[in-house]
Amino acid sequence: MKLYHQYKKTRSRRSRAFLSRILSLFLLQFFAPAHTHSQTAANFEKPAPILSGTAGFLTSVTAGQTVLDTQFNPVLLVPLGEHWLVESRGEFEGEFQRQPDGSFGGPVNKHLDYLQADYIANPYLTVTVGRFLTPFGIFNERLYPMWIRALQPDPLILPVATAASDGTMLRGGFPLNTRANFNYAAYVSVTSIGVDGVESERHVGGRAGFFLSGPRLEVGVSWQKVLQDDRKNAVGFHLGWQPRPVPLSVHAEVVRSDQGSGYWVEGAYRLSQAPFWEKAMRRTEVVARAQQYFSGNISSDAAQSLGLPAANTWEADFGVNYFLKDGLKAVASYGRQLSSAGNFNQWTFGIAYRFLIPLGREAAP
Amino acid sequence: MKPVPVLVFAIILGFTALAGSSNKKETSAVTPVTHATDADSMRSLGEQRFRANCGRCHAAPQKFPPRAMATVLRHMRVRATITDEDMRLVLFYMTQ
Repeated sequence: MKLYHQYKKTRSRRSRAFLSRILSLFLLQFFAPAHTHSQTAANFEKPAPILSGTAGFLTSVTAGQTVLDTQFNPVLLVPLGEHWLVESRGEFEGEFQRQPDGSFGGPVNKHLDYLQADYIANPYLTVTVGRFLTPFGIFNERLYPMWIRALQPDPLILPVATAASDGTMLRGGFPLNTRANFNYAAYVSVTSIGVDGVESERHVGGRAGFFLSGPRLEVGVSWQKVLQDDRKNAVGFHLGWQPRPVPLSVHAEVVRSDQGSGYWVEGAYRLSQAPFWEKAMRRTEVVARAQQYFSGNISSDAAQSLGLPAANTWEADFGVNYFLKDGLKAVASYGRQLSSAGNFNQWTFGIAYRFLIPLGREAAP
Repeated sequence: MKPVPVLVFAIILGFTALAGSSNKKETSAVTPVTHATDADSMRSLGEQRFRANCGRCHAAPQKFPPRAMATVLRHMRVRATITDEDMRLVLFYMTQ
């Protein structure tokens, strides 16, 4: 028996030593000095502050109710030295509906989407501190801006696990070989704020993905655990694919959580290969999205307060985007939503514009 | 000792080791970025990386002033987790 305990102790000591060695190697890889970065960054122009963002105007008719939606989302980017970037995005949105007296009126929402400081420590690691967009799936972080999204209505599952984060995040991307890149994000949100316009929750989570440059395929998985209230988990999968032979862009997300589960899959096809009206077709994109939402273990009122449907829902959307010039596009879409809470049509028409203004004389062309 | 943490660490170490080794390969493949004078091949590589990375989310934007472009690329490096090599090549392509 004594021998057995001694054996167990020795084995445990060896395991700890093995683990600490692995951890050291791991940390050494990630906290390597930013030699490569600094050496090459010097070859390029010094970054300058810029003000960018999106402005747009949409008219949507949902179940016969017309809403005039005006949006302005300024993004401020301030690089500091070779390794720092301070970035922020605000959201100003006016949603105007017809009032009983015939005029249009409604609230103007103001919201701080993110205000974060990024420290690019080395080619493998960036440390972010502040308020940041939660890296769950790909829509919330990368496809959300009006000028990027192919269809203006949000996916039904967007509110799941995408509450703002106030805390810190480690993230990065690096090549595994010449054909595959790996990217990751790990974060913790440490505050729970419920003030109007500044809301967040305590949670921890991460995302990992692979990008295969050959087939231009990106796949990834996200996970989040809420550290307040019911402390539930959410898991998601995402996919992005741009096949080389055709101007098609496919995106999809799947999520499973206590709040609800679902998926969306979307394809956007640029008509640049059409053999007629070539000039106009090159600027035209047709889009289709199918999505489904399954109610979770929360009440329909709670779901609606989160922006989720009140019941199981199926929706199909079709749209056309016309790129008038760089950063300026006209959008139109039609969607049909089917659920036990009621079926309805949703029409959207509008225009979205992305602007970029270099700040300071030195940054101008 | 539980096998799961060891497995997780082994996988992470595998990734980082792969990244480290492939980075060496990549560095040699990307050496032209810092040393070669063949700007055309760099532009070509940069265009490839531009289409592969930027096209994942949005249509190709126009070229901006070099200093503004450098800021945009730093932003995209963080937002879209673009690799260091890809960022440098795309920046070269977009500013030359």
